[in-house]
Amino acid sequence: MTALGIKPAAPNAARIGIGGPVGSGKTALIECLIPRFQAVGIDLAVITNDLVTKEDAERLQRSGLIDPKRVMAVEAGACPHTVIREDPTLNIAAAEECERRFPNLDLIIIESGGDNLASTFSLDLVDWWMFVIDVAQGDDIPRKRGPAILQADLLVINKTDLAPYVGVDAEAVLAEALQIRDSRPTIACRCRGGDSDPGLDAIVEAIGHDVLFTARGAAP
Amino acid sequence: MHLVTSLLGNADDPELHDVLHRLEHAGRVEWLVLPRADMARRRLRAVTDQGSEIAVALPRDVSLFDKAVLVLSDNQAVVLRVEAENWLCLKPHDQAAALALGYHAGNLHWRVRFDGAVLQVALEAPVESYVQRLHTFIEDGRVSIEPPAVAAQGE
Ligand SMILES: Nc1nc2c(ncn2[C@@H]2O[C@H](COP(=O)(O)OP(=O)(O)O)[C@@H](O)[C@H]2O)c(=O)[nH]1
Ligand SMILES: [Mg+2]
Repeated sequence: MTALGIKPAAPNAARIGIGGPVGSGKTALIECLIPRFQAVGIDLAVITNDLVTKEDAERLQRSGLIDPKRVMAVEAGACPHTVIREDPTLNIAAAEECERRFPNLDLIIIESGGDNLASTFSLDLVDWWMFVIDVAQGDDIPRKRGPAILQADLLVINKTDLAPYVGVDAEAVLAEALQIRDSRPTIACRCRGGDSDPGLDAIVEAIGHDVLFTARGAAP
Repeated sequence: MHLVTSLLGNADDPELHDVLHRLEHAGRVEWLVLPRADMARRRLRAVTDQGSEIAVALPRDVSLFDKAVLVLSDNQAVVLRVEAENWLCLKPHDQAAALALGYHAGNLHWRVRFDGAVLQVALEAPVESYVQRLHTFIEDGRVSIEPPAVAAQGE
């Protein structure tokens, strides 16, 4: 079921951002999202931001999950925040290039180069963005607030499988994050060893609902 | 659900005014009230005051604005309104405090406006999260919080 029959009418592809500290699992999450969107006929492309390499783009291109031509790399240089917030020119150009290459695109996923908790995405670049943290960074991350934690359209708390090994109560982190975010969307998940993780399905559903305009409770 | 892929004009436009006026009399004008921060979005999903679902997907060179007409037919119109904003009013007690407060607000990327000797900060999150960032200024009396500015609709 694609976007409830309105897919052809949307004048362009939705653009979503994935931010979060280095190593929190942004690329791993994209690897989990790709097959889920493909399964329901969503035509997608990915733009990765790395500091001075194309590491993440090459990893996705090698993954076999997606046509390598659908993955583009932006080298963010010294400041990964600037290219998603103050001056997203390079990323906007990359998104436009994706749309030129693939005119039927429904969705462009833009991964940031790795952020601290002050980072946010410009809404000139993306329509909607999520911020990914993980339980192994400690249970106090939501409490530290920061614009990323407060303003993201969706906060993702990844690596729930690691919670017992790092002495963190994943449920409590999720509850505290929900309270700090005034009950705005917050989802816990695992991107490794959890093929049927309900958190991943909930993330797909949230993206489907908010920017691909599918019915609540339906996969896109 | 209405899919909105272009804006039909401003509700105050003379050529839209009459038809909107007629629909309003018939109770057929719905308001979609959005926070100011959402004006920067090209794509979003929201519900009008009458419960109609609206999906906005605009071209990248089109921006939402207060009083934009999103839907217009013989028996229904949907008009966007920007939610009234609240501002935190801060009064620095001397020039040194004003310099430091201005630097601080900029460093935190707060959206501000100036009202004479008072700095107004747009509240885009619960007010406590702003007041917490100001505690050193407030504790040592360099800055005080003034009564709130009157929130103006769609301003
Ligand atoms: N145990 C576990 N490891 C994960 C999970 N998600 C990602 N990782 C691992 O965390 C490391 C960093 O992930 P990566 O996607 O490269 O993070 P990025 O820098 O945010 O893109 C990799 O070794 C991933 O395999 C998870 O849910 N559980
Ligand atoms: Mg990565």
